[in-house]
Amino acid sequence: MQLDEQAPLLRMRKASFRYPDAAEQVLKDVDLEIAPGCCYCLTGPTGSGKTTLARILSGLAPDGDGGGELEFAPAVASAAMPVGLVLQDPDVQLLASTVGAEVAFGLENLGVEPAAMPERVSAALTAVGLAKAHDFPVDKLSMGQKYRVLIAAHLVMEARLLILDEPGAQLDPEGLLQLRGLLERLKAAGIAVLLCEHRPEPLLAVIDEFWQLTGDGRLQPGRWTGTAVPSGSWPVPSCAGLSEALLHAEDLAFQGADGQDVWSGVGLELRRGERMVVTGLNGTGKTTLLRCLLGFLAPSGGQVSILDGLPEPGRLRGRVGLLFQNPQSQLFENTVREEISFALKRLGLARSTIAERVSQVLQGFGIEDLAEASPHKLSYGQKHLVALAAVLAPGPELLLLDDPLAGLDGYRSQEVLELLVRWSDHHNMALIWTSHEPDLEYPWAHRVLRLEGGRLVAA
Amino acid sequence: MGSRMPAAQGRLAQGGTRDDGIGRRMIVVMVLSCLAFLARRVEQLLLLTGINAVAIFWLHRGPLSLRREMRTFAWQTAIILGLHLFRFRTMAGLWLGFKVSWQLFLALLPGMVFARTASQSGIVRVLTRVMPGRAAFVLSTCMRFIPRLLGEIKNIYEGQVLRGARILPRDLVRPWHWADLLHCVVVPAVVQGMALAGHIALAARARGFERFPRRTCWPGE
Repeated sequence: MQLDEQAPLLRMRKASFRYPDAAEQVLKDVDLEIAPGCCYCLTGPTGSGKTTLARILSGLAPDGDGGGELEFAPAVASAAMPVGLVLQDPDVQLLASTVGAEVAFGLENLGVEPAAMPERVSAALTAVGLAKAHDFPVDKLSMGQKYRVLIAAHLVMEARLLILDEPGAQLDPEGLLQLRGLLERLKAAGIAVLLCEHRPEPLLAVIDEFWQLTGDGRLQPGRWTGTAVPSGSWPVPSCAGLSEALLHAEDLAFQGADGQDVWSGVGLELRRGERMVVTGLNGTGKTTLLRCLLGFLAPSGGQVSILDGLPEPGRLRGRVGLLFQNPQSQLFENTVREEISFALKRLGLARSTIAERVSQVLQGFGIEDLAEASPHKLSYGQKHLVALAAVLAPGPELLLLDDPLAGLDGYRSQEVLELLVRWSDHHNMALIWTSHEPDLEYPWAHRVLRLEGGRLVAA
Repeated sequence: MGSRMPAAQGRLAQGGTRDDGIGRRMIVVMVLSCLAFLARRVEQLLLLTGINAVAIFWLHRGPLSLRREMRTFAWQTAIILGLHLFRFRTMAGLWLGFKVSWQLFLALLPGMVFARTASQSGIVRVLTRVMPGRAAFVLSTCMRFIPRLLGEIKNIYEGQVLRGARILPRDLVRPWHWADLLHCVVVPAVVQGMALAGHIALAARARGFERFPRRTCWPGE
């Protein structure tokens, strides 16, 4: 059955949704229409319901109370899986070990005869422009290629609408460029795309219409007014007062399991109070570099000196803080207060000192009202703040952050960034910040370096 | 003139799919693991170690570096010897601990090598012969995501060490520090594991998993 190019693929009327424990509806009276070959961008702050709406549209509504109508065009309704949903992190969605098996996963679920699968898989891979053999291991694909495999995995099931949940959170500029080209081709083939993205700049050229979830559950027509990337007005940081070296690395090299250098000849010096950004595309070894600097991984060559000694994690307790990309995974206590006081207790501070320090941190982060709340029940953005507060409470001299803004909206990113810069200035704390977005500006940083071609160079 | 199917292509299994000898390898792995629990005497353990060496060569179809497995074995041995020394305080106790560790290693090694050398889709194809397709998928997916979960646990561990948790190997020599390991690493790891399972399940459902009663199987590469 052919699709009418004018008629909508899908129509949603008066949709609402409330999570079981929530007082307010996360979606209220949402109306929308999706036309074939159009690309829509759904924006809104973290926690405003973008992913919830995406899940409802794809028939995967979470547990909760929902209402409203969802109507598909007849040609779409007859398809087994008319709506494809690609979630944020490609790595947790790759369920098979080879490209062929991965793309065929949906066909297996649809009960397609095995003999018919290879041809359909090849067609889907051609549609996403990925010339890989069926037995190519998915683990050896770049992040951008993994994303395209996932799109192929939905196209093979004849999806007419693709929903992509925050592709920018994981893809580097190269991956986003590949995605933009692919979306152009998919639109031309009549496939509709819904991007749930609060940082859509790299994909602006393919977006036809913006929608915004306002935070009160309402969906409004949107208009892209500019960058949501943290910018703000920062005083130009000066290196003039920075003298004491905290970290010194010389001719550092690291070899992967295959014996190849991930990077080599890396040298860097970080002074007390200095803020350094290390950018690089996915897979260039930024996290590995942080691990080597802290002594969790042994480099294959070179030397590191940190806080006047060798990089031994035991020696660095309380003096160096570390936050990985998913900071909330470090939360384990029953209340925010206990979470923040954990490191202070381990430092052996007196109870009164701990109580005073925790109050200061809670106040400094503006989260006093969350003190007795369970960290596990907070919103994504709040968990981020609590994890950061817990790491900063002991007053580290150096903080290492691995892509700390991934998944945060512009407002939260700005909030986290302002807190960090203020803390760094006030406590003379040095900072190393890694990012997969080399093209962003980092006006608050003293130095920006780039990991490229296995070398660390000035950006 | 008749043509012969290349050995690597393997034989056709149910529904026209190939199993690449994975079924046979899986049976050998299970038998070897079971034998490890039956072997009590040193001669038996030595003989089984030799058989394992040959089997590993066969499983991998060539020599294989066992550096990672040997590191795991070294850790396991150190922990078991420590516990036996704590319990028995004699050389005989230590020897008993070493034999237990050796047995455990021989029980786990074939499975570890098999997981490294067999393709996931091949394992699913074989498992679907003895269990429902969905259960086979869940089992093989669990195996696939173990390294990812271990990576997450590593992140948690490193972050907590710098927050002051007494969980470095030298700290864990003192049993009263084990509470930190449970509290700061195991609890968040369980939470992360559950979250990861939720994401994987959602990704699978987004591609029609459990939507239809019958599930077929990718025929192989």
